[in-house]
Amino acid sequence: MKILKATFVTELLKLRNSKIVWITFLFFLFIPMMMGLMFYIQMHPELIEKLGIIGTKASLLKLGKAEWPAFLGFLIQGMAGIGLIGFGFVTSWVFGREFSDRTMKDILALPVLRSSIVFSKFIVVGIWCILLSVVYFVFSLIFGNIIGITGWSSKIISQNTYTYSMTSLLTILLCPAVAFFASTSRGYLLPMAFVILTMIMANFTGILGLGPYFPWAIPGLFGVAEGSAGMQLTAVSYIILFSTSAVGLVGTLAWWRFADHK
Amino acid sequence: MEIINTENLTKYYKNVHAVDGISISVNKGEIYGFLGLNGAGKTTTIRMLLGMIKPTSGSAYIKSKRVFADNIELWKNVGSLVEVPYSYPDLTVRENLEIIRRLRFIPDKSSVDQIIDKLQIGAYSNRKAKNLSLGNAQRLGLAKALIHNPEILILDEPTNGLDPAGIHEIREMFNDLALNQGKTIFISSHILGEVSRFATRIGIIHEGKLIQEIDTKELDKQCQKRLFVNADNAQAARAELIENGYTLGERKDGVTEVLDNEAIKHPDIIATMLVNSGFPPTLLQVEEEDLESYFLRIIGMKGVTK
Repeated sequence: MKILKATFVTELLKLRNSKIVWITFLFFLFIPMMMGLMFYIQMHPELIEKLGIIGTKASLLKLGKAEWPAFLGFLIQGMAGIGLIGFGFVTSWVFGREFSDRTMKDILALPVLRSSIVFSKFIVVGIWCILLSVVYFVFSLIFGNIIGITGWSSKIISQNTYTYSMTSLLTILLCPAVAFFASTSRGYLLPMAFVILTMIMANFTGILGLGPYFPWAIPGLFGVAEGSAGMQLTAVSYIILFSTSAVGLVGTLAWWRFADHK
Repeated sequence: MEIINTENLTKYYKNVHAVDGISISVNKGEIYGFLGLNGAGKTTTIRMLLGMIKPTSGSAYIKSKRVFADNIELWKNVGSLVEVPYSYPDLTVRENLEIIRRLRFIPDKSSVDQIIDKLQIGAYSNRKAKNLSLGNAQRLGLAKALIHNPEILILDEPTNGLDPAGIHEIREMFNDLALNQGKTIFISSHILGEVSRFATRIGIIHEGKLIQEIDTKELDKQCQKRLFVNADNAQAARAELIENGYTLGERKDGVTEVLDNEAIKHPDIIATMLVNSGFPPTLLQVEEEDLESYFLRIIGMKGVTK
């Protein structure tokens, strides 16, 4: 525990002065702001022409009625996509920076277990991603209220908060696979390429009705209404997602422990 | 007392023999200079000593305990620096050292200030690592290796990037650590002239193999001396030397080289003989091989005589 505490605190120290931390938070603040703008345009069709391409884009999105259920549904789907990219980026950076900054060799011959460093990195990734989820959710609610979305009820909000939280959590659980690629490729590029590929594949498998069996499509399907054919999650879906997470975690731990660090 | 030793340490990468059966032993208080050209296998050996690379065969030991990744107790008394030192670029010198202090469980917070003073990087303590010069980055790397006052130091080319004054200062520090404080230092370099100034023993590695181990005190004796002779009538002088039983060579510029050890030790005998024969020498030069030439000769990259 003493070792884990030391490695965790040092992982937090490593975030000091880092622009990346602020960039990710700004990104997760920017997205709900844009979402609010889209809904605002939806509520005021007369703005479509005035706002040019943004207005046209908003009209094409078919966001549904500018009410809280539709807004929150859009927010949850947004988390499944934006979260995949944002959390993937965070994971790539936390693990990949040791290689791109060439500091990896300095943390291997220390009186701390490598597994402890890996776990600490995952804890930091987890906390960071949860905070990003909270920022995304809270600012979405704020912007929703500012633009005057109708139909607010505590029941709707609490139901969607649960769905949103679960979608975020399931997305976060996919981070270990990204960490594995960041470690084995010793950098950021491959894991980010992997994240983009999984996103494309998630859409593709969704079209084919195989989404419930593709790990990276599963978080986005958590909030899908009952009865949607080919989109219902089953116990197998959760087993697939948890297994993917576990394989990523074990793979990352094994790589740090057994690979040659040249 | 044996502090660092390797037994037939070997590392292959596919068909490349990066390190091939190296067995070395470093005793307490020794400064062991590990010398080799770039790509000779120095860094791979050091990484195996530090548990970063798993040997294909053989083992490395520190204080008789086998080195492997999970044997973390070993590193409490080891300070290391591998290749060019890098630190977290957005963190200051002090913050980088604070990270190492915590990971080494050093309770005394003033250890950061102490090592900053020792390595004379106080003026840069609040500067981000990415803005340090190569020399100061090297000092920060050394500070990270020394912050816990380790018994053993394993350092890969630690004077890279330092100016002559910095090299002198670090050399003095190593001497003090080994001679006065009994620390054991394993240090790699590709410059024999530099490492011979403070190492007590030198191991030369070439193409993955340890080809020579020598006490630094013996180094001078191993360096070859050559005697060159010339005279106005060079041909007659050569004939006279041959007639007196000397074995000769010839330098590229045509100057005669006397190859007999006795003549090299006593060039005055040659001078007397040539003067008495009526061919007084216009050149009588004993040339001592410098350390770099010796190193290149040992690894087979330079011929001795024509």
